[in-house]
Amino acid sequence: MTATGDTRAGTGMNRARIAGVPGIGGLALGLLSTALILAWVGGDDYRETLVMTTVTYAFVALGIYVPYVMAGSLSMAYAAYAAIGGYAVGLISAKTSLPLWLAWLIGPLVAAVLALLLGLVTRRLSGFFLAAVTLLFGLAFAAFLNDAAGLTGGAVGVGSLRELNLLGWNPSTYQLMVVSSLAVCAFAFLLDRARMSPWGVTVRTMREAPRAVEAAGVRVPTLNLVSLGLGAAIAAVGGAIFTYSVGSVTPDTFKLDLVFLAIFMPLLGGSGTPWGAVLGAVIAVELTLNFSLPGVALSGTLILAVGVLVVLLIAPRGVIGYADRLRKLVQGRWLSRG
Amino acid sequence: MPDLQLWISAVQMGCFFGLLALAYYLVLVGAGFFNFAIGPYAMVAGLLTSYLVVEWEYEVWLAAVVGIGTAVLLAIATELAVVRPVQRRSGSGELPALVAVAAVLFAVQQIAGDQLGYLTLPGQNLLPISPITVGETVVQPSTILMVLVTLVAFAAIAAWIRYTRSGRLLRAVGDSTPAATLLGLPVKRIRLVAFILSGVLAGAAGLLFSTKAGVNNLSGLGWAVSGFLALVIGGSGSIVAPLLGGLLLGIVEVFVPYYFGGQSQVYGMLLVALVFFAVKPSGLFVRRVRA
Repeated sequence: MTATGDTRAGTGMNRARIAGVPGIGGLALGLLSTALILAWVGGDDYRETLVMTTVTYAFVALGIYVPYVMAGSLSMAYAAYAAIGGYAVGLISAKTSLPLWLAWLIGPLVAAVLALLLGLVTRRLSGFFLAAVTLLFGLAFAAFLNDAAGLTGGAVGVGSLRELNLLGWNPSTYQLMVVSSLAVCAFAFLLDRARMSPWGVTVRTMREAPRAVEAAGVRVPTLNLVSLGLGAAIAAVGGAIFTYSVGSVTPDTFKLDLVFLAIFMPLLGGSGTPWGAVLGAVIAVELTLNFSLPGVALSGTLILAVGVLVVLLIAPRGVIGYADRLRKLVQGRWLSRG
Repeated sequence: MPDLQLWISAVQMGCFFGLLALAYYLVLVGAGFFNFAIGPYAMVAGLLTSYLVVEWEYEVWLAAVVGIGTAVLLAIATELAVVRPVQRRSGSGELPALVAVAAVLFAVQQIAGDQLGYLTLPGQNLLPISPITVGETVVQPSTILMVLVTLVAFAAIAAWIRYTRSGRLLRAVGDSTPAATLLGLPVKRIRLVAFILSGVLAGAAGLLFSTKAGVNNLSGLGWAVSGFLALVIGGSGSIVAPLLGGLLLGIVEVFVPYYFGGQSQVYGMLLVALVFFAVKPSGLFVRRVRA
């Protein structure tokens, strides 16, 4: 919500100062694409669900972007973090009389604390070991959701959620879609700013040269923990949005496939900027849910998996990286000619 | 005597995890990373064999050869088409290799589901004898075959590493890849041999284990984690370490649900993993400290 406040304050500034804000170009492009997608949806119910799924994936991808692309530690517990966000909505609705919007605060907080604890236990681990332990944690958490039927409703999950009420305003599904799409843009913009801030530069340096960062007086393990917690919290926001839009949550709502998609989305879109994670989410939803070509028997998920291999092997910049290169190339030609 | 039956089950699982861990061990020594795609190799061997027998009515042994052969081809493709280019470009960092392996894992799962279906198929029995009954304890032929194959495989790999030229070369590469390259040793070929052997081991393990609870296109992920844990528990210090780690993990997998019920073996495995990573991250058997 703070980012919408920022841009609103930004309209008061003069144009030159707005254009000089780092990352504003990405935000403009992101908002434009969002507007186009929302126009494409119109009032179509199915397209609305597609957009809500994209929003969820985008939050999970933005979440994993922080520890994975910026800090270089791959945590595979993201299905669990999204599920925590989802269950926060479900449980607050079913078991308490608290206002439902509190779930968007409590869920991410719980996810962040859990990620911090898991990070503390595994602080000596990196790479393959961290991936394996967090994967196991995800499996154990899914088992827990099934086992603890008294708390989570077991395999049936939690359903029939209350309606969201924000200070007397009951958003319709269309309004909710618009607001959450804008929230994705806000988070991507803020993460882009965070990436370019001194903090972001330190985190990214830590990925390449942890000893240099440690020698400069920054505690690398602490910085790693912060990035893990931040990522988990962002993913939980997405889980909460998805659960509210579907109206129920079960242990199968956030499956292990989501973890793999989360790893692939930032790569597909382009790991140079958080907007790549958002674009990756759009691609992932398009391929896995909305994909059918006449005469092609391949499943979209398979194309996605192969696409990731292609990105890894021959196109490491991802879609946004190459689009940006093309833009610079065209600009260079145009300038030299004119 | 239900306890003895449980022990037999634990030994069968332990041998399975041990074989997977041995496959991990060979790639770890040869290429210096954990190939999580070993789980899917095992899945493909088991699923393809069952599919060929059920759908196309192949002979069991022929189907088994095709299944394991496909697993080996996948292993070769992983090394040549994915791991080698990624490692060449990214240098020493292990994150790109990890992501590449995750992508291979996911892709193999999807291709298997796409081509062979998403249903759980029953495993095929390779040994046409009736179960042996001693008192109230029943020993399935698949268990016997699993134990035999495990013993033979560990003995053969141990002998290969100790007595043959290529086995010694693998150890040299594992001790120090840069030194081996400087000496002009055929590093690439040795790596490929390690991948092929790991494909054979994983394929055989998956094929034999799928008789226990069937196999579907998502079985590979759980197997990959189990095999990895078995290697972590055992350590990479000696050739029997993966087998002991596997047996220990098999005991946890069988007895924890027996005493605590339900899905508790997942919690048990997480606990074992956390304890080992916190207390003894190098495993039970350590030969030397790597510089």
